[in-house]
Amino acid sequence: MLELTAIVAEVRHPTAHYRVIGFHAPAIAEPVRAGQFVNVLLRPGPLLRRPFSVYSAVGGVVEIIYRPVGEGTALLADLKEGDRVSLLGPLGRPFEFHPDWDSVALVSGGLGVAPMLLAARDARDAGLRVTWVHGARTVTELSPESAGDRSVIATDDGSAGHHGSAVAAVPDGVGGVLACGPNRMLAAVAARWPDAQVAVETYMGCGTGVCLGCAVPLRAGGYDRACKEGPVYRAADVDWEALPSHLHYAAGA
Amino acid sequence: MSVDMAVDVGELNLRGPVVAASGTFGYGTEVPLLERRALGAIVSKGIFLRPRIGNPPPRIVETPSGMLNAIGLQGPGVEALIRDYCPQWAAWDFPVLVNINGESAVEYGELAARLDGVPGVAGFEINVSCPNVEQGGMYFGNDPRAAAEVTAAVRRRTRLPIWVKLTPMVSDIAVIARACESAGADGLSAVNTFVGMSIDLHTYRPRLAFRTGGLSGPAIRPMAVHLAHQAARAVRIPVIGVGGIVSADDALEFLVAGCAAVQVGTATFADPRAIARVHDGIAAHLEARGLSSLAELPRYLPRD
Repeated sequence: MLELTAIVAEVRHPTAHYRVIGFHAPAIAEPVRAGQFVNVLLRPGPLLRRPFSVYSAVGGVVEIIYRPVGEGTALLADLKEGDRVSLLGPLGRPFEFHPDWDSVALVSGGLGVAPMLLAARDARDAGLRVTWVHGARTVTELSPESAGDRSVIATDDGSAGHHGSAVAAVPDGVGGVLACGPNRMLAAVAARWPDAQVAVETYMGCGTGVCLGCAVPLRAGGYDRACKEGPVYRAADVDWEALPSHLHYAAGA
Repeated sequence: MSVDMAVDVGELNLRGPVVAASGTFGYGTEVPLLERRALGAIVSKGIFLRPRIGNPPPRIVETPSGMLNAIGLQGPGVEALIRDYCPQWAAWDFPVLVNINGESAVEYGELAARLDGVPGVAGFEINVSCPNVEQGGMYFGNDPRAAAEVTAAVRRRTRLPIWVKLTPMVSDIAVIARACESAGADGLSAVNTFVGMSIDLHTYRPRLAFRTGGLSGPAIRPMAVHLAHQAARAVRIPVIGVGGIVSADDALEFLVAGCAAVQVGTATFADPRAIARVHDGIAAHLEARGLSSLAELPRYLPRD
């Protein structure tokens, strides 16, 4: 893990709903694996860093995808090419690809698409066929980008693709299942595929395992750290009843 | 840098005045990019006799210039501490103090007795100020008799240095400070977090599952400087200032206000190199003012 000053290499608005920002950070882009995250320090900005899944890592540029929903993401949206931020990463445990799989389904809801482009890359590197399954509330909130040998879309309101959840839209017969999205969606993943790997969302303090703020309740009892043992978990290992399902970011100035 | 940064805090000789605050530095083994050269000492994450799983999430929430935490003293218990961490501490070239916790004065004494003489343990910080546990914690720090009772229970079981970490949630910190000094404390850490609360307007419920939490970060700094100053005026033992230090200037405020040393905590979460930055900044300040040692820093400490 590294702490480095990175220059903003690019800013994209692929749709009205999503923004992508790329940082020139080859030392993180090279080792990062799908499911890992970077912790971004904004100055001036809020006291704590903000964690983001790495969306893509091409040509030494680490991309993150986000929606401006709180103080931190509003400041991110103000960044321009050439600006500098401090990045800490790569952090956390990535998705694992088991040798006995021949294919994998990447299942995401909304902003849960964040680790999936990298997951598709890593899956292909592992020789797996990729089924891309992505859902959102409505067509305008669908992710702009996809990757995979086949693609399945779902919307809660039926405005595009399957009418219903991404989880329900996953075809039978996929090998491994990797999922990311709202914790409530991940609970549904756990019910259908106990061995699925899911990337959970929690509030985070330090991102490095020290503060114990990102506690994830385990079925076996006790808590561990999303930033260190996670954010990727075996779906059935998480106590979904005890994991907050909605996080509201509104730190204030 | 030619400035002499060494400082004596009671019988502990620290090579620098900046100490890692309990709960923000794990057991000293977890912090990435650790620059040990700058560490005066570390105070380990609070420990109980037995393992504790801690509080349910959400455990933290960011607030303006600060954060609320209700971790709940999650930890492996003293036997795992002795097995997994003390042997590493014994090899380090700076002291490690263990932050000890109990639900009764007897438990604090038992912890001290168990850890006394274990290689790697250089001293204790008695936590009588944690706002995030149901039993003990801040209760002991609110009451001069209870604070003295806990301090005395530890004093009877160890000759190692004892610091007592004071809570700011009192009407007169000088009374508590003097009670701990009389009961045998060698130093006072001032102050722990302030109790706070934040409400989620989506759910109309507290943001923290524990309902309340301890507020840390720059939001508390002026109050912490004042309380550390009041404590320092009230006692002859050294006071270690803590509360919202991010920069060297912040640390210098505590030092000038009468503290022998300082602790840096929450700042490490955002900047893993915060302690080295503060240490180097203090040295640069002294040098710029033509002072050759920290001991020459002017203090503002009229005695009560």
